Amino acid sequence: MGPGPAGPHTWVEVMTAYAIRRVLWLIPVLWAVATITFFLMHAVPGGPFTQDRSLPESIITALNRRYNLDEPLWKQYLHYLWNILHGDLGLSFRGDRDVSVLIRDGFFVTAQLGILAFLVASFFGLALGVLSALNQNGPLDYVGVFVATVGAALPNFILATFLIVIFAINLGWFQILGWGGPEHVGDLWNVSAWNVKKLVLPVVSLSFLPMAYIARVTRASMLEVLRQDYIRTAQAKGLAEQVVIMRHAVKNAMIPVLTLMGPIAAVLVTGSFIVENIYSIPGVGRQFVEAVQRRDYAMIMGTTLFYAAIVAVANLVVDLLYAVVDPRVRYG
Amino acid sequence: MRAVKWLLPLGALVALLLVVVACGGDEEGGTATPGATGTPKPGVSPTAEAQAPAAQQQIIVQSGQPEFYDPHRSNFEQDIAIARALWRGLYQLSVAADGGIVAVPAMAAAEPTVNGNVYTVKLKAGLKWSDGVPLTANDFVYGIQRECDAAVASPYQYVLGASILGIVGCDEYFTALGTTDAPLTPTDAELQALRDAIGVKAIDDTTLQVTLLAPKPTFTTIMSLWAAFPARKDVIEQFGDKWTDPGNIVTNGPFILTGLTAGAGGQVVLEPNPNWALEPKPALRKITIKFIDDTEAAFRAFQTGELDITNIPAPEIPTIQADATLSKEFLKVGAARIWSVEMQMKNEVIAKPLVRLALSRAIDRATLVKVVYNDSFLPATYWLVQGLPGFQGNAAFEDTVGYDPTAAKKALSDAGYPNGEGFPTLTLTTLDRPDRKAEAEFLQKNWKDILGITINIQTVDAKTRSSTFNTENFELFPGGWQNDYPDPENSLIGLFDTDGGNNHYNCSDPDIDAKLAAAGKETDNAARIKLLQEAETLIVTKLCGAIPIYQNAFLYLVNSKMAGLKPNGQIDAAMPGNWCPECWYVKAQ
Repeated sequence: MGPGPAGPHTWVEVMTAYAIRRVLWLIPVLWAVATITFFLMHAVPGGPFTQDRSLPESIITALNRRYNLDEPLWKQYLHYLWNILHGDLGLSFRGDRDVSVLIRDGFFVTAQLGILAFLVASFFGLALGVLSALNQNGPLDYVGVFVATVGAALPNFILATFLIVIFAINLGWFQILGWGGPEHVGDLWNVSAWNVKKLVLPVVSLSFLPMAYIARVTRASMLEVLRQDYIRTAQAKGLAEQVVIMRHAVKNAMIPVLTLMGPIAAVLVTGSFIVENIYSIPGVGRQFVEAVQRRDYAMIMGTTLFYAAIVAVANLVVDLLYAVVDPRVRYG
Repeated sequence: MRAVKWLLPLGALVALLLVVVACGGDEEGGTATPGATGTPKPGVSPTAEAQAPAAQQQIIVQSGQPEFYDPHRSNFEQDIAIARALWRGLYQLSVAADGGIVAVPAMAAAEPTVNGNVYTVKLKAGLKWSDGVPLTANDFVYGIQRECDAAVASPYQYVLGASILGIVGCDEYFTALGTTDAPLTPTDAELQALRDAIGVKAIDDTTLQVTLLAPKPTFTTIMSLWAAFPARKDVIEQFGDKWTDPGNIVTNGPFILTGLTAGAGGQVVLEPNPNWALEPKPALRKITIKFIDDTEAAFRAFQTGELDITNIPAPEIPTIQADATLSKEFLKVGAARIWSVEMQMKNEVIAKPLVRLALSRAIDRATLVKVVYNDSFLPATYWLVQGLPGFQGNAAFEDTVGYDPTAAKKALSDAGYPNGEGFPTLTLTTLDRPDRKAEAEFLQKNWKDILGITINIQTVDAKTRSSTFNTENFELFPGGWQNDYPDPENSLIGLFDTDGGNNHYNCSDPDIDAKLAAAGKETDNAARIKLLQEAETLIVTKLCGAIPIYQNAFLYLVNSKMAGLKPNGQIDAAMPGNWCPECWYVKAQ
């Protein structure tokens, strides 16, 4: 055996190499995001100390000096990159708080909201889609399609307002101010840190749109799968109805649904800005929007880089999962 | 049916969820209150209603999100609101029996003794900080030196500087490091010398001496502001930037800060200070302040009972007034805030006095306030607001600059633009918010219908809008002024004098300059107020840079269980009756 190309690689080796390549790509991507964001945010009119009641020159000078904003822009940029490489995301102008601590605390809450919304959307979306498909053109199907269509069409702030007025203000079943879960990691197992009355409406508001998407795609996918030969084969073999459905139909129907997970993650992320604002939830979505409004430079950079990383990682996870679920998919 | 088999487990799950929610946990359980040492005597005035028992003396209040809890870095009203609950200065602004605002001694024992430029203030005996350490004159020295320190970078330093109160040496210390283009590098010794040269000294533990550049009748008023609050040098040096965290912070006001969740959606918790020196002692055992910038969200939270006191947006007023309960809880308080259409005087068309007169006389202020703001504000042709000393009101100016379509048309015609012919299209820059957009559209229509001129509306976000104003890059700009303290000098000086720091509309008139300069030097209070009134008359009749349209009001909802609030728009910040949170209590049910 002389020199030549190496033999066939195992599946795990291929996937690992692929994953590593994708992770390495993150570095130039994040650098580009950081650079574009940095110069864009300084180009926009107004700064952190711009306000209606004009501050005298001497005060602006003192504030700029305090936060190193009096240096030339390129110097500030290089300082910023240097600090990031050392894990220092800087201070928020609001209260001089550590940006990384603020994002960590905010993300802890946003992640809870996102995960709960994702679980609710997945569960009810899949259930609704499967039930609709099994009951095709029957009453359950019409209800399912109706709910899915309304959920896809209605903007979540309108839905949220309706939910609040009906279920919180008029019926008084739920609360709407703040987050109903723990705000610190340490409280995760502390029962008293959970207030279910506050959790329901924000989670429902955020999950409705993804639930609608999942329901529609699941329904279509199920209908397609139920027509396949292997389903008829399983039924002919005499397998119980539920086994046929769960083991064969649903599992195969889920493959196209996985392609939705990328857009679903995006919807959960952007939808959380609005939901966090309406319910005054201390999450990172709201921090991001407010930072831009206040021209809080370090916070803008921190949250933008954070989201860029999250989106990149989420896309990678989806692509890997796709390969796991569908053996026909190959990378590298 | 195949589908039905799935309904059962699904239905069971949903039912379980509803049961959990309906029978779920109680109201947000409060954390155990760390016992304040000693039990302060709650204060109730003779005519007040009976108080609820101590366990019910807890309220939840809305405010915008503060930036800093350090009074020498306080900038916006929500910061100031909390600072005033935590600290008190030598004097405090208070409502007198006749409804006027007076600065009464707080930490000071009495009015200052004045000897030329030197003001001597004696402190009350036995004052303590919340940790029991005695409060001395040195704490005020340190506080004022801090306010003048560029390393602290207080946005209100100018109030102690030469342009307002004029404490000797304050500006010199503040500008010791020069500017970005012309930096200075003083040695540590030189910096210390500048700091020591600031005109504030402790003669002994209970005597403070302040030296001004010139005597000022507003001394006690300015000494009531957060800029002159005392500070604890040892605490700040020990904890650095973390000195305002609960557990570290030490205060001398009616409350102490016992809880803090930072960030959007966060909150602070205030509890009574056992060493609060004055009367009344706080009746409330706990004030939770929740940070909600969006007043619509706050309004909804009030309706679910999650807030006891909140600001509300003007568009919700019809809903509130139609509701039997809410209409009784609605509170409108005339604010020390005037709103106007500011005009760039460097624009050649706007520079013509008759054009400005036409614009002013074509605005139907009463209808604007009614249609856009549900009658919650006061139509105004004046600049000095109702409640300020020297208030002249619409009586003085309505006939000269008030709504009169015929006079408006005539003025525009006399200016050379009959029926708007030849008048250029001007741009009006306003905030991207529903009420401001509605206001802009109303003005646009008024001017179109009556004068025949076309106005373009440009909507921008808050920072862009402020930047547009500060860089003088506007033609017409709805904007106004909210007083920092209840004195007419604060409404005029710096705003209408040539080169005034806030004069971005470039009003430049030698008569106005003369009146304002004279008022700044006048030591007889009555004469000073008269000069300021004369300045206002000149400014309004000449419409020099601004057309007044209405005086604002603060709009609140207050739970009917609350009592003891004494709202006053001249001195409140962010909350009704915020100048005396120790006066608030929950009524016995």
